[in-house]
Amino acid sequence: MALPSRARSTRLLVASLVAVSLVTITVDFREGEHGPLASVGRVAMAVISPLQRAVSKVTHPIGNFFSTLVRLPSIRDENERLKDEIAELKAQVSTGLADEARLHQLEALLGVEESLGPNVQTAAAQVIANGVSNFEWTITIGKGSRDGIAVDQPVLSPAGLVGHVVRVAPDSAVVQLAVDPDSSVAGRLDVSGKTGLVSGQGNQDMRMGLVDTSTEVQAGERVVTAGFRIPGVAQSLYPPGILIGTVSRVLPSEASLEKFITVSPAVDFSGLDLVLVVLTDGAG
Amino acid sequence: MRRALSLAAVIVTALLLQTTVFGDVKLLGARPELMYLVTIVFAMIEGPSSGAIAGFAGGMAQDFFMNEPKGITALTLTLLGYVVGLARQYIVSPSPLLPVGLVAGGTFVGVLFNRFVAFLLGQLDTSALYVFRVAALSALYNAILTPLLYPVLRRVAEGSRSRKIVRW
Repeated sequence: MALPSRARSTRLLVASLVAVSLVTITVDFREGEHGPLASVGRVAMAVISPLQRAVSKVTHPIGNFFSTLVRLPSIRDENERLKDEIAELKAQVSTGLADEARLHQLEALLGVEESLGPNVQTAAAQVIANGVSNFEWTITIGKGSRDGIAVDQPVLSPAGLVGHVVRVAPDSAVVQLAVDPDSSVAGRLDVSGKTGLVSGQGNQDMRMGLVDTSTEVQAGERVVTAGFRIPGVAQSLYPPGILIGTVSRVLPSEASLEKFITVSPAVDFSGLDLVLVVLTDGAG
Repeated sequence: MRRALSLAAVIVTALLLQTTVFGDVKLLGARPELMYLVTIVFAMIEGPSSGAIAGFAGGMAQDFFMNEPKGITALTLTLLGYVVGLARQYIVSPSPLLPVGLVAGGTFVGVLFNRFVAFLLGQLDTSALYVFRVAALSALYNAILTPLLYPVLRRVAEGSRSRKIVRW
């Protein structure tokens, strides 16, 4: 009789664990970012971020090196450049020239910061981890509420728009990348000045929707953030004029109400190291 | 107590590796699903109830690092651990490739189930094609990692069993 009762207790255990999971899903679904579970999430972030910082300090250069190697065969044109990069990375790993590269990155970020205007406060932050899932496009940065980081602040890199802050712990924050399918940014076509909504598509190029069919769009055209502001009513998360990417494809769609435009992001999201968080937009 | 501590250590390590090393080193754009691998291996070695507990704990831990409603991964991995643990009792194959096969199959089915729950909750914002592609790639990646990680996890699981040695 021992075996059936053991099987019964296992089933009871599994049933209770499933019940707890379902209750958690329901509670979190209803409460969102204001519930008790969200604060547990912040504690979890606070606990693990020092470990992530330590691990990625060691593994990030090695990981970059491997991901560069993996991409090598598929990009013939960039072969030479990548070879140089690998040589550079190897040199950095072996001789500790990483400091110099860091200096160049910081200088580039300083350039971005200056271009935003004198009243804009920013904070440079190190990327300490990637997202945990294959279905979310996020990064974790090594600065949090203690450094003035708050939810919804825009995040930039020298190449262009990175995304915005979605969760904050005291010493770390999670940034949702512009390529995440949940992310939408108001974008402006550089030539025509027409605006549209740029939504992430994960690993594929972003889609730009809500663009009128009569608009003339060429592949290669730049798309920047629109940064609209209706005083007292609504305001875009992102400052205007930040490069999102370039138009990669325009499909003629006579029957549709909007143009089908894909946008190739300006930022290489796999190789992010230092980013700039915009703390205030200087407006107010 | 000893078991809980080693399970916690394994879960934290898996989360760390998943977000750092394997965020950079991807297989055709996909990460492995280390928490699925850990759950399946624990379920194989320790049986359905330990599998369910490991899956629940690991899944819940992972959920707190995601933007989706928490609990989806916990639900997936609880069931995955239980099912794999049960299935293991009926498989008598002595093949050393059995863990690899179970990890690959379990990860594939588990990821699909997870995305199905997300879909029911209106949280799925990628195409079905992408879901299948990622499920297959992360299953393959997990299968490749299994020969490396299985011995480590087995040592942890066996080392954490209570050491009551009965001599007579």
